[in-house]
Amino acid sequence: MNAPDPNAFSLDINDSEDAELIEYFLGELPERVDAINQASSSDDVEQLGRLAHQLKGAAPGFGFPLIGSAAAKLEGSIRALDQSEEDVNLVRAEVENLISLCQSYISQSKNSH
Amino acid sequence: MVDPKDLQLDTTPVVLLIDDSQFVHRLLDARMRSESISLIGEFNGKNGFERAVEDSPALILLDLDMPVMDGFETLRALKEEAKTKDIPVIVLSGMDSSQDKVTAFDLGAIDFVTKPFELTELRARVRSSLKMSALMKMLSQKAQIDGLSELYNRSFFDDRFKEEYDRAIRHGHPLSIALMDLDHFKSINDTFGHPAGDTVIAGVAKIAVQECRSSDIACRYGGEEFVLIMPETSPADAFTLCDRIRERCEATTWAQHPGRPVTISIGIVGATDGAGIQCTPAAMIELADRNLYDAKKSGRNMVRASDINGAQVKIAKAS
Repeated sequence: MNAPDPNAFSLDINDSEDAELIEYFLGELPERVDAINQASSSDDVEQLGRLAHQLKGAAPGFGFPLIGSAAAKLEGSIRALDQSEEDVNLVRAEVENLISLCQSYISQSKNSH
Repeated sequence: MVDPKDLQLDTTPVVLLIDDSQFVHRLLDARMRSESISLIGEFNGKNGFERAVEDSPALILLDLDMPVMDGFETLRALKEEAKTKDIPVIVLSGMDSSQDKVTAFDLGAIDFVTKPFELTELRARVRSSLKMSALMKMLSQKAQIDGLSELYNRSFFDDRFKEEYDRAIRHGHPLSIALMDLDHFKSINDTFGHPAGDTVIAGVAKIAVQECRSSDIACRYGGEEFVLIMPETSPADAFTLCDRIRERCEATTWAQHPGRPVTISIGIVGATDGAGIQCTPAAMIELADRNLYDAKKSGRNMVRASDINGAQVKIAKAS
């Protein structure tokens, strides 16, 4: 997938309060990605749903609406999950999508430091 | 007594956030900084409920989707607990579901906000809820206050006396009440006019409040009659307090009629041990009224007190 558009930050990195929130979120993100990976590889659907739900609710407020909508899509697919091959693959694809999106933000922030 | 500060909107209100997501706590911490509120937080429904009982916040922001005790369960518990039932609750939810909204409002939520929330909007909703609850609190307090004397009114007395009466019996604690009546009040109105009479009512009420301890409850009982509920007070101690009120009334000089002092007669009845109270609350008031009547009949400017079982405690008359 393409690198996320930096304009997707709806917060202003030059505003100190906004910068503080962005930094906090990026600092927490690797841990969340690990947790998503772990829940996904152990097929803990409930935990995966909870993690997606929290990211959906929180990410836009921290200036990451793209992560919010990827998490919302994942949460929606998990809720619709009926164990068919097709659905399971969809959830896996959305997990991948969410993780790679998060990772691109993480590496982007590392490069800028 | 009602503290006038409670009627103002400008004390920093405490807002309790109950949400299992660290992200939401962090976000609101930052975004509510500009509001004149003090934000406290808990991470699950059980702790949140306990914190609300302990700290009585002005407003609660409650997440719905929480493990262990979810938001609806927490909301139900908050609305069932006397100490928290009047605290406004704004429900936060990651699900934009009509059924959830209906349930939340049915359970007593004041507002419903869907996550991810627009922070400007949430701040406005917080402000509006705080304002509304402060106004409602003010209204309910005003409804209990007598406008002229600024004491509690009769209907507040009726409810509160019943509560104190039940409490005294249950715990075997002392309880006394005093009925007070201004002597020859009608002649003040007739001679100096009703505004002068009103000043006397307000002035005597002020003396009573100044002499009362914070646990005493002073109410306007009727025209020129006041009633004092004194929890944890034996009739002998109630006598000491009321005789000070009587003395101060007598010693007060009134600007509108400096040559005409105002005196008061007081009838007290009480129990040193609440467990010994055998009569109804109404009968207790009647006993106090009988002592008041005796004080009037014996020359006024006098306090008469007796124990609820009939034993006379003390009589005092101006020297």
